[in-house]
Amino acid sequence: MAKRPTKFRPTKTASNDKSTGGLTRRNFLEVALAGGAAASGAYISLARDMSAFAQASGSIVIGHHCELTGGFASWGYWHNKCALAATKVINDGGGIAGRKLELVTEDTESNPAAGARKLRSLIQRNRASFITGSVHSGVMLASIPVATEMKTVYFSTGEATEATGEKGTRYSFRTGTDTYGLAAAGAPWAYENLGKTWTIISPDYAWGHSHYKEHKAVIEKLGGKVHDPIYVPLDAKDLVPYLARIPQDTQVLFSVFFGALSIAFYTQAKSMGLEKTMRMYSVSGTIEAIAPADLKGAAEGVYIVENFPRMLKYKDDAFHKEYNKLVGTDDVHAREIGSDKVNAKSHSWQSYENLFALKQAIEASGWKQKSDDKGVIEALEGLQMANSLGFAQGAKTLRKEDHSGMIDCYISRIENDEFQVKKKVTKEEMAAMLPPRYDFSKEAL
Amino acid sequence: MSALVLALAVNGLVWGLIIALIALGLSIIFGLLDIINVAHGDFFMLGTVVVLVLTVSTGSYWLALALVPLIGFAVGLVLERLIIRPTIRQASLTIVTTFGLSMMLQEGVRATYGAQPRRMAAPIEGTIPLFGIDYDVYRIFAAAFAALCLVAFFVFLTRTKLGTWIRAVRHDPETATALGVPVTRICAITFGLGTAMALLGGAIAAPITTVEFRTGVDILPFCFMAVIIGGLGNLQGTVAAAVLLAVFEGLVTSVTDPTIARIVSLGLMSVVLLVRPHGLFSGATR
Repeated sequence: MAKRPTKFRPTKTASNDKSTGGLTRRNFLEVALAGGAAASGAYISLARDMSAFAQASGSIVIGHHCELTGGFASWGYWHNKCALAATKVINDGGGIAGRKLELVTEDTESNPAAGARKLRSLIQRNRASFITGSVHSGVMLASIPVATEMKTVYFSTGEATEATGEKGTRYSFRTGTDTYGLAAAGAPWAYENLGKTWTIISPDYAWGHSHYKEHKAVIEKLGGKVHDPIYVPLDAKDLVPYLARIPQDTQVLFSVFFGALSIAFYTQAKSMGLEKTMRMYSVSGTIEAIAPADLKGAAEGVYIVENFPRMLKYKDDAFHKEYNKLVGTDDVHAREIGSDKVNAKSHSWQSYENLFALKQAIEASGWKQKSDDKGVIEALEGLQMANSLGFAQGAKTLRKEDHSGMIDCYISRIENDEFQVKKKVTKEEMAAMLPPRYDFSKEAL
Repeated sequence: MSALVLALAVNGLVWGLIIALIALGLSIIFGLLDIINVAHGDFFMLGTVVVLVLTVSTGSYWLALALVPLIGFAVGLVLERLIIRPTIRQASLTIVTTFGLSMMLQEGVRATYGAQPRRMAAPIEGTIPLFGIDYDVYRIFAAAFAALCLVAFFVFLTRTKLGTWIRAVRHDPETATALGVPVTRICAITFGLGTAMALLGGAIAAPITTVEFRTGVDILPFCFMAVIIGGLGNLQGTVAAAVLLAVFEGLVTSVTDPTIARIVSLGLMSVVLLVRPHGLFSGATR
């Protein structure tokens, strides 16, 4: 691949400023003024600019495709914070292969169309060599074709299984779980312990549909019964019409929501007393960035599949403890120190760890520039990540065939507003239950 | 099945009454000022946020509920003076202005209050059996209170001097000016009232739905549907249309997918616009 011409990069970066964004009127004026000064022969200014340029060309630019605004903003806040924390740790430790990591963040606005456009901007304008990507299933699924077209490694952090399934490519990776993995992690246990007749209620978009498909397959294979799904429009405010349709014989109500819809679901399900007649089961996304205490009892007794235990004591090691400090959260409720925000902990760790995974792959492959991407991709395929400060969620493998992370999962129950782990499903158990369904490693680059 | 139909019809009526209060605010702003207020849903969102903040700080939902419309009225007066008045009676320009206001309100709340969605506990707890489902008692209260507010508004509009002035300015601003009605002040008061209604709707709905900076985005289309079907600027028509739409959606939802129910509602709106371009209740009042 031809080396792209070096040009001015207007976006602020994590290495010198916490906020990032596109070309602003202020940037433009700064550039225009600097240009004017240089043209008039200001030697000192020119020399300083040249020095800055030389420094920038030595750094490795990684793009962060993040939901800073829109429906996923409460998650995106944490993804951004975790990526910034990882950048600092990496740069304080000498960078990547001795080069400074420069993190450039673009806001997807929680919107697939905007997300795809911003991804192009990250790659073309900001010259990001790799991307740690979106947690919004719609955004990440819209982005993978763009990343593939632009031959750029893209880490999804959302759960729709298609990202490392039918819509996955050689460039698409995910260190966390997908709906395929979550169904394998939690559904057999829930089937045995909670009930055999299931109803699934979820938002009417990719993430919910994906959960229904994967969970139905597992439950029916075990001999259980799954009623028709109840899909709720994303703009619903009143959930009673949907909750009233839940069949009376339901033993397990599996809910998959996020953000405001989660609150509406727990509030309205509780007000209708559904928990008295059926067991409530869900995945971490449904209560991500939300503290059970803030739901005032509405989530009490709900079973949740977590990817990273919210309470330190269930993965009680120095790495987890230090990670909590780095991202500024407490060890029990995962609240931000000094505010009442709650870490989207089961997902945001990916924005932190993906940077360390890239560091490991870049250093292992000897990557120098874009034309060396093949080596990074091959290093990522089958990458073993040891439990460490860089991989505080725990040891994991990025499986070669389907580019999916094999990680430990936890089935927890909310008791007295705390996530009490009832069962740990190890990454080895996960790998055994999840035969690869795709093999991207054979695709040509 | 018949029990489910009845339960969802009643729920539609309950939700419709709350929406009617919000849609009425939208309708009076349009009817008097010709403002297509795209930020109206965000006024509703502001109501949910303010009532939660006040409830937490004062410890009383009821006190917060009493304060929210007053705050809403004051906010409306300020916004009218700063943002609305310069573009008044230029409908197309008001879309741009209020769209900008909508973004400012959303991002302002996100930046100050945070992006995290929150739950507000209902001040009245408990359920009653209603056609086979356990129905939240607070919803019954919310609907009754919304109905009371609607009645109070129409009494104010028809039985007070200020209400008469508002109707006079709606009907013929030039003649009202000639007769000494302070039209500029009436416009400001009307915008304040419309804003107060949206915030009050938010305060009533907060314990039912979610408190979040984007809560208002999704409520706006339903309010616009009610205003359009009820007849642009027709106040009674707007209330009737909001309730009818919600009950209709509840009934359709009981026999089909809820998404289909919304599609049917939109189809109904299209039919109404084709058959009666000025809405179902056009000409009833103005």
